[in-house]
Amino acid sequence: MSKISLFLCNCFGEIGRVIDLEFIRKKFEADPDVDSVTIVDSLCMPDDAAKAQVLTRERRIGKVLIGACSPYGKMEFVRLGLAKEGAAVRAVDLREGCAWIHGKDPEGATRKAANQIDMELALLQNRKDSKDLTLRVQQEVLVIGAGPAGLSAACGLARLGFRTHLVDRGSAPGGLLNVVKKVYPTDEPGPGKIKNLVDETGENPLIRFYGKTKISSVKGYAGDFKVKLTGPEGNTALRVGAVVLATGARILFPQGLYGYGKIKNVITQMEIERRFATGALNCKTAVFIQCVGARNAERPYCSTICCPLSLKNAMRVMDENPGARAYVLHRDIMTPGSVLEAYYRKAMQRGVQFIRFDAERPPEVRGQEQVSGVEVFDSISGVSRVIDSDLLVLSTPFVADPESAAIARMFEIPVDKYGFYEEVYPIHPVETRNDGIFICGTSRWPVSSDQAIAQGEAAAIKAASFLGKETVSALAMSRVPGGKLGHAAADAAACTGCGNCVAVCPYKACRLQRTGNRSVSRVIKVRCKACGNCVAVCPNGAMQMPEQNYRVTGEMIRRAFREVR
Amino acid sequence: MSVDRGNVKILVFACRWCGLIGADGAGRKRIELPASYRVIPVDCAGYVEPDAVIRAFASGATGVAVLGCHVGGCRFNDANHPALKRLELLKTLLDTTGIGGNRLLLGFGTAHESHQYADMILEFHRAMESMPSMASWLPQGQ
Repeated sequence: MSKISLFLCNCFGEIGRVIDLEFIRKKFEADPDVDSVTIVDSLCMPDDAAKAQVLTRERRIGKVLIGACSPYGKMEFVRLGLAKEGAAVRAVDLREGCAWIHGKDPEGATRKAANQIDMELALLQNRKDSKDLTLRVQQEVLVIGAGPAGLSAACGLARLGFRTHLVDRGSAPGGLLNVVKKVYPTDEPGPGKIKNLVDETGENPLIRFYGKTKISSVKGYAGDFKVKLTGPEGNTALRVGAVVLATGARILFPQGLYGYGKIKNVITQMEIERRFATGALNCKTAVFIQCVGARNAERPYCSTICCPLSLKNAMRVMDENPGARAYVLHRDIMTPGSVLEAYYRKAMQRGVQFIRFDAERPPEVRGQEQVSGVEVFDSISGVSRVIDSDLLVLSTPFVADPESAAIARMFEIPVDKYGFYEEVYPIHPVETRNDGIFICGTSRWPVSSDQAIAQGEAAAIKAASFLGKETVSALAMSRVPGGKLGHAAADAAACTGCGNCVAVCPYKACRLQRTGNRSVSRVIKVRCKACGNCVAVCPNGAMQMPEQNYRVTGEMIRRAFREVR
Repeated sequence: MSVDRGNVKILVFACRWCGLIGADGAGRKRIELPASYRVIPVDCAGYVEPDAVIRAFASGATGVAVLGCHVGGCRFNDANHPALKRLELLKTLLDTTGIGGNRLLLGFGTAHESHQYADMILEFHRAMESMPSMASWLPQGQ
């Protein structure tokens, strides 16, 4: 075991004023683990830092312990500077964690400093290094779902030069936009909005489109996923480095709400789109009801698209049926941003009537077999009104696709309580907790087609920046620079295969593997982020974090309150 | 066996993403704290094994504090949820064995809550002052 060099920083007296550094120097010079103790005035200043570096290099010191300010300040740079010389470096917080908060108790502070240094010495002497794993990243991507989000992700990745496999359960790309004749706020046709992307999918040789295809199995981890597809061309096996999920959502069927399914001419927004497409829409008065099955206890979220959708369809009803009227019964009109707000004003000028109702007092439908009218309590004027109407359109929200739960299970990503894929909250909006899996579009959260296209691009960039490195080291796979200490290692001889670690791992990095006649735990190094939960639950001590193994923790606890003499 | 009070020894397991940064903030604000505690930095509160807590008591700690991120704000997805469950269970066990569940403090805070960190340490120190030292149970000479 090589000896440790100890550097103590006086911080121009900030530390030395409280802590008796001379006492500590004498104490640790007598320690058999310590090679030398050097007190410097300020380790962060160039001359002292250089002195420490030269000393480390010339004496070939393998282990260095610094006692100075907190590792969140300048100390990290000093630590990294010394680590460059090839030494294992640890730092003890003597300023923020000791001198500055125990100023009135110098004796206690000195004792604490000595104990903390002693504990870190134990760590340095007993720590081991995790075995790193270098992985070749497959330079291909799989994009699931060919709606606006999936198309934009696939095109973005192909433009960056990655071979992209685009899979959809439908026969043609386009997703929900294929149904929509016109999109808000530009009133261009739905398929036209993504026409350039669909064309690019056909033209770019790097993109391959698989229609009517489903995922049958997924194996592997970030950098090397083995995916099997089943489609009309039979089974296809792919090896991809990253996966973009853009599987979309569906619109809620308002079964039982406002007489839907029982009364004729009570339809959803999707049905009115279809009627527009076939040209068979004539009505005198259309009434749109907003927030049907949304913003309630069951689905408290706003579905983003229904308000602008109703504005657009109300105006279309008026355009296509001269003399027709349109009412929008809403709880609040959600038209964020300058463009949509202008669209709202345009609808008002066009003559669309807006009536606000309370969630506690929803409108009531009149009519037995055919809609004859809607009774609504106008919450602003405080009076009840009856609107004679022959068409009632219900704005229902996006709900998770029934297939997305199975996809999420396959790719081992979590879904939220409404069934949408869960992002890594709050600063990684298109990433999931399974590295290498990216999400975008309405499968993640209700968005408009514009936002879906933007998210597709974001997911493409994130996937590309991961694939861009041709090889990746498991130790470097962390979202935080320098955030990963190592990864857990399972001792196959001590493991009894109880599976506690598998149950507790938040990254699904532990697996039980059958070897011979028993199961043992195996850690997927690429997925492990070194939180240590598996170590805490292992009943046999088979699971260890080499950097902070049981010997380290045990010694640190033993030394924490050792008498200082 | 003499009952030794007042000689408080607190072992703090602090997660380096929240607890430890909170400690750093408390230091920068020069909040005066009793020098009765020692800190073991861990990557996540999930790393703290119940055995380690028991071992700390066995080696004479009056109290043990485990400081992690807020539930729902863990750096490692939700790694501190199982930790919380595990340590709450351990509290029951400590109560059953007579050590006392109140010797184990579970603290959750974010990185910028340095005042909360300082208050937690101070209050825990005061609570531990009235508790008998665990060292009374140690064999002589340790």
